[in-house]
Amino acid sequence: MSKKKEEASIGRRDFFRKAGLGAGAVGAAAVGLSAEQGEAAEPAKTAPGRAGYRETAHVKKYYELSRF
Amino acid sequence: MAAVLQAQQAAEEDRLRAGWYSLLARLLAAPADDEVIAVLRGLGDDETELGAALRALKAAAGAASPSAVEQEFFDLFVGVGQGELVPYGSYYLTGFLHEKPLARLRDDMAALRIARSEGVPESEDHIAALCDMMAGLITGAFGAPADLATQRKFFDDHIGCWAPRFFENLEAAPSAAFYMPVGTLGRLFMAVESQAFEMAA
Repeated sequence: MSKKKEEASIGRRDFFRKAGLGAGAVGAAAVGLSAEQGEAAEPAKTAPGRAGYRETAHVKKYYELSRF
Repeated sequence: MAAVLQAQQAAEEDRLRAGWYSLLARLLAAPADDEVIAVLRGLGDDETELGAALRALKAAAGAASPSAVEQEFFDLFVGVGQGELVPYGSYYLTGFLHEKPLARLRDDMAALRIARSEGVPESEDHIAALCDMMAGLITGAFGAPADLATQRKFFDDHIGCWAPRFFENLEAAPSAAFYMPVGTLGRLFMAVESQAFEMAA
């Protein structure tokens, strides 16, 4: 890593710290949430990778309603 | 030794960033259920702006019932015909769904070897999908972790150009109670990410 890059990386880390990125237990909370999310996602090994984002309520709900 | 320490610290900051993206993705993909609400009630906070927003979210979770949250989610993002908000990049950038920004996103996803999971009805430019993709790029869920330049390009091209406005709208949406602090968190986190990418350049 060049000197300049190294400084930029330290500045960035410092900035994240001051911004409160580590506030609370967001890291831990999100780990719990994304573990749950992982069940729906296919393993990344089977290329191409999967975005694995969950089914959301939008379209499903819309279809449910339109049956009436 | 210093290099090892630096790599560990970098991993820590990236783990946190990915955590924020995952949290936003989960909150915006589907209504918060019992489990999510319980996690949110256990959140900590600190004296930063983000910490204050977390405090507000924790308070909102404390007062929330899953059925009320589900109704609110429906009113905000689904609606009968259309919700108060339309959380898709293409809509924010062009006024219509499934326009060129979605096509460009799909091209970039193919290049990054990211595919939509089967059975997901929303198009890829949904805010929750984009947050999930950012988390995956950071952690390497799609193969090797993407370098900062790649992360930045993806963010600038597909998220930074509209998501801040979406989160502002969410904060101000008439139906938003539980989701109002989610809007605040998203707005603040987007600003942190933009500024941090600037610093890395």
